[in-house]
Amino acid sequence: MKDMTARRPIPRAINWNRLQDDKDLEVWNRLTVNFWLPEKVPLSNDVQSWATLRPEERELTIRVFTGLTLLDTIQNSVGAPAMLADAQTPHEEAVLTNIAFMEAVHARSYSSIFSTLCLTREVDEAFRWSEEDPHLQAKARLILDEYGADADPLKRKIASVFLESFLFYSGFYLPMYWSSRAKLTNTADLIRLIIRDEAIHGYYIGYKFQRAAERLPQAERDALKDFAFALMFDLYEIESHYTEELYDGIGLAEDVKAFLHYNANKALQNLGFEALFPPAACEVNPAILAALSPDSENHDFFSGSGSSYVIGKAVATEDEDWDF
Amino acid sequence: MLDDVKGGMKGDGAETLDYHALNAMLNLYDEAGQIRFDADRKAARQYFLQHVNQNTVFFHSLDEKLGYLVDEGYYEAEVLAQYPREFIQRIWDAAFARKFRFPTFLGAFKYYTSYTLKTRDGQRYLERYEDRVVMVALTLARGDQALAMSFMEEIISGRFQPATPTFLNAGKASRGELISCFLLRVEDNMESIGRAINSSLQLSKRGGGVALMLTNIREHGAPIKGIENQSSGVIPVMKLLEDSFSYANQLGARQGAGAVYLNAHHPDILQFLDTKRENADEKIRIKTLSLGVVIPDVTFDLAKKNEDMYLFSPHDVERVYGLPFSDISVTEKYDEMVGDKRIRKKKINARAFFQTLAEIQFESGYPYIMFEDSVNRANPIAGRIAMSNLCSEILQVNEASEFNDDLSYAKMGADISCNLGSLNIAKAMDGGDLGRTVESAIRALTAVSEMSAIESVPSVRKGNDDAHAVGLGQMNLHGFLARERIHYDSAEGVDFTRAYFAAVAFHAIRASNALAREKGATFKGFETSRYADGSFFGKYVDRDWLPETEAVQALFDRMGVALPRRADWAGLRDAVMQDGLYNRNLQAVPPTGSISYINNSTSSIHPIVSKIEIRKEGKIGRVYYPAPFMTNENLGYYRDAYEIGPEAIIDVYAAATEHVDQGLSLTLFFPAEATTRDINRAQIYAWRKGIKTIYYVRLRQTALEGTEVQGCVSCTL
Repeated sequence: MKDMTARRPIPRAINWNRLQDDKDLEVWNRLTVNFWLPEKVPLSNDVQSWATLRPEERELTIRVFTGLTLLDTIQNSVGAPAMLADAQTPHEEAVLTNIAFMEAVHARSYSSIFSTLCLTREVDEAFRWSEEDPHLQAKARLILDEYGADADPLKRKIASVFLESFLFYSGFYLPMYWSSRAKLTNTADLIRLIIRDEAIHGYYIGYKFQRAAERLPQAERDALKDFAFALMFDLYEIESHYTEELYDGIGLAEDVKAFLHYNANKALQNLGFEALFPPAACEVNPAILAALSPDSENHDFFSGSGSSYVIGKAVATEDEDWDF
Repeated sequence: MLDDVKGGMKGDGAETLDYHALNAMLNLYDEAGQIRFDADRKAARQYFLQHVNQNTVFFHSLDEKLGYLVDEGYYEAEVLAQYPREFIQRIWDAAFARKFRFPTFLGAFKYYTSYTLKTRDGQRYLERYEDRVVMVALTLARGDQALAMSFMEEIISGRFQPATPTFLNAGKASRGELISCFLLRVEDNMESIGRAINSSLQLSKRGGGVALMLTNIREHGAPIKGIENQSSGVIPVMKLLEDSFSYANQLGARQGAGAVYLNAHHPDILQFLDTKRENADEKIRIKTLSLGVVIPDVTFDLAKKNEDMYLFSPHDVERVYGLPFSDISVTEKYDEMVGDKRIRKKKINARAFFQTLAEIQFESGYPYIMFEDSVNRANPIAGRIAMSNLCSEILQVNEASEFNDDLSYAKMGADISCNLGSLNIAKAMDGGDLGRTVESAIRALTAVSEMSAIESVPSVRKGNDDAHAVGLGQMNLHGFLARERIHYDSAEGVDFTRAYFAAVAFHAIRASNALAREKGATFKGFETSRYADGSFFGKYVDRDWLPETEAVQALFDRMGVALPRRADWAGLRDAVMQDGLYNRNLQAVPPTGSISYINNSTSSIHPIVSKIEIRKEGKIGRVYYPAPFMTNENLGYYRDAYEIGPEAIIDVYAAATEHVDQGLSLTLFFPAEATTRDINRAQIYAWRKGIKTIYYVRLRQTALEGTEVQGCVSCTL
C-alpha cells in the first residue's frame, strides 16, 4: 500500500491564475458563456411545420438526427474522456470535461426534438436503424478504434477533430436546408447552437494537436499527416455512401457532398494541414453556408430566443455609475 | 487562413442558382471582398421568373379580375361598391402606372409569402403589390375618391406604410382585424384574471399582440379571504397566459404573442425575472411570453444611495389607498408606504435588482423596461400610464373594469388598442410635402380606428371608441442619413431627428384638429388634457425647433420641406383649444420588422444591426437583407448598432422622444464581452435623457478566430 501511494503523482489543485497556455482560458470562457440547454428553444413551435413534411422527409430527418445522436454519444462518453489522459495542462482537462458535458447536452437535445415532434414508434424505428445501418456503424467503429486505450494520443486527436469538424456536417446539412425553406426553423436554431459548440471543439482539439505535433521530429510529423489523410480517405468513402443512402431520395446528395468537401477541408485546416478538395469541389449552396453563422440574426418575437444570447458577466455598478 | 480552403461557393454560373442561393450570396463576400448586391437583385428577379409569375392567376382585364374576386368571396364587395366603375379603373391604372418594383429579394419574398391574397389552397397568387395597395386605399377611404387617391399615392410611393394587420387584411372578405396591438389591465381578483385569459385568447385568434399588466395581482404567499399563505402570485398566471397564446393562432398563420408587465416594487419581481433564466425549472420557465418591468424614479434614487428597495403587497396597498397598486405613484407614496404598518413589504438591494435585471437581459434579451415617471410626466392626458405593450411603444392611460360573478361587467373600464403605420423618412422627405403625407397617414389610421370594433373584448372596444388613439411611426432614419452622407452618430444625425420629429408632431396635431372640426367631436377626456388648456404647447411657442446645424438646414432647404415655426405652433394651439383633437394619441414609433422590408427601409429609427441583416421568421425561414441605399462605395455610413454603441443611439432617441406623445421601441446593442454593468450604465443614461421605454437588449458574439465561416459579411471578425 505504502509503495503505491508513493508512486502516485502528487495531486495538484488546478490554478487558473497560472496558465501554461492562454488558449485554455480563452476557450474555457467562450464555452462557459455559450452554455445552453435544449429547453431554451421553443421546439413546439415547429410542430405545425413538421406536419408539412412528407413521410419520407420525416423519416430522413429522424434518421439524420439519430445518426448525430450516436456521434454525440461517442464523443461524450468515449472521445472527450479518452483525451483527458493526454491533456498537456490541467486547464486542458477542465476544457475537455466541459466539452464532454456539452456533447451529452447535444445528444439530449435530439431526444427533445424527437419527443416534441415525433411518435415513439418512429423514433424507436430510427434508433433500431442506427444500430443496423452499415455506413453509420462503420464510421462509428473507425473513430472508436482510434479512441481505444492503446491508441496514439495524437491520432486520437486527429480522429476527434474529424468527428467534430467533418462527420457531424452531413447531418447538420438537413436542418440548415429545411430552415432555408422556412421549415423547422426552431429546430435549426437548436442545431445552430450545437454547431456553435462543435466549431469551437474542433478548433480547440486541432489547436492542441498542432502544439503537440510541433515538438515532434519531422519524420513523426510526416507519419501523423499520412495517417490523417488515410483516415480522412476512409471516412470520406463511408460518408459518401452514407450521404447517398440518406439524401438520394430527395435529390440532395451532390449538394451535401460539396458541403462534406468544404468541411473536410476545414477539419484538415484545424489540424494545420492543407486542403484535400479543390475549391471547385467545395461549391456549397450559399443558402447553407450563410446559414451556419449565428451572428446578429434578427428575429421576430414569434420565433423564440435565437442563438445569439449568452450568459453574461455580472459586474456590480459603482457609485460613479449612479452620479446623477 | 488557407487560400485554397476559401472556395466554398459558386462565383460563375450564378444564373443556374435558385433565388434562395442567390440571396444568400449577399452574406458572402466575392473574391475582391465586395458585397454582392447584384446577386440579391438577381434573386429578386429569379423569384419572379421562377416562382411568382408562374403561380399568379392571370386575368384579361380589371373587370374580370374584380368580378372573379368578389364572386368567389375573396374581396369584400362592399368596399368596391362605394366607388363608381370609372374611378376604380382610374385608381388601378394610376397605381400600375407607377411601375413598382421590389428592390430586394426579401421585400418581394416577404410580400408574397405573408401579405398577398392567395387562392384558398394557398397555391396561387391572386394579387400583385399594386392590387394590395389599391384595396387598402379603397377600404380606408370609405367611398371618398380624393382620399382614396391620396392614400394610394402615399402608400405606393413608399412614403406611408400601414402596419401589417391593416396592409395584410384590408379589403379581403375573410380576414383578421385591422388593428395590431392590445393592452389589458388585470385586477386582483379571479374574475378579472379569467376575463384576461379569455380576452387574450380572443385577441390572439384575431391576430393581435396582447400585453397584460400584472402589477395589481397579489403576491405569492399573500392572504386570500384573510387566510395567510394562500395566493400563488403572478407566476402561475403567466404560465396560463403563455399556454393561451401558444394555443391561439390565426388559422395557423402565426402564433399568438403576449407580454406581461410588472412593477419593480411588486414582491414577486425577482421570481418574475427568474422565469427567463437559462436554468429555470420547467414549471416556472417562461419561453415565449415577453416580460416588461415598470421602474419608477424612486428605484433609481435608492440605487444611487445604494439602499434597499421595498416591495409592497398590492393587496394591502389597494386596501389602504382604495386604489389598485398601478393607479398610485410609487415614487410619490414610497416613504408613506414604507412607514405604513398595514402594508406588508419585503426588501431587496436596489443595485442588486438592477444587476439581476441586466443578467436576465444578457441571457434572454428581456425584460423590456418602462420608466414610469418619465412616461407620466410627458403624458398630456389625465390619468396614469402603468404599462406598455408587446413592442414597448404604446403608452396610454387605461381604466379598471369591475366584474360580476358571471363575468359580466359591473363597471366597464377602458382598455387600449392601437393601430399603427409608419412613414419612410427618406421617401417622406423626397416627397417634399411632409404636412400632406402626415395628414394623409393620420386620416388613414383614424379610419382604421373608426372601422374597428372588437366586440369580444368590450373594454377594448370602449377604449377605442372613446379615444380614437393612433400611432404614427417612422422608419428608415439610418438609411436616409446614410444616403445623405450623414453619420447616424453625429451632431447632424441628432439635429435632423429633432427637427423632423417636431415637424411630424406639428402636422399630426394639425390633422387631428382638422378631423375634430370636420366631425364636430373630440376624444373623450380632451377637456382635462394639457392640450385643452394650451399648456402642452408651451415648449413649442417659447422657442423654435429648427435645425441647429448648417448641414441639416441645407438638407431641409434642398428637399423643399418647410418646418413649422413658433408662430405656426401658436396658431395651432389656438385652433386646438377652440376645436379640440379627434385622436387622444397620435404618435408611437414601432420597431417595424416586416413592413420595413417590403418598404425598403431600415427598421424604425435604429441603426442597422448588420450591413447584411439575417432575418429569420417562422414563415420565411432565413433570408438576407441589404441595408437600403447601401453600395460598396458608401459603406462607411453604415456602421451598425453594435459599432455605434448605446449612448449615441439613446441621444437620437432622446431627440425624437421630445416630440412623440407615446413611446418609441428602443433596443440596446452590446458586444457579448460587455458586462451587466455596461447594460446598467446604458439604462441609467437612457433614464436620465428622458427615454420612456427600452425594448430588447441584443448581444452580438464575435466568432472565435479560427471558427468563423469564411467570407461571411454578417460575421464580425
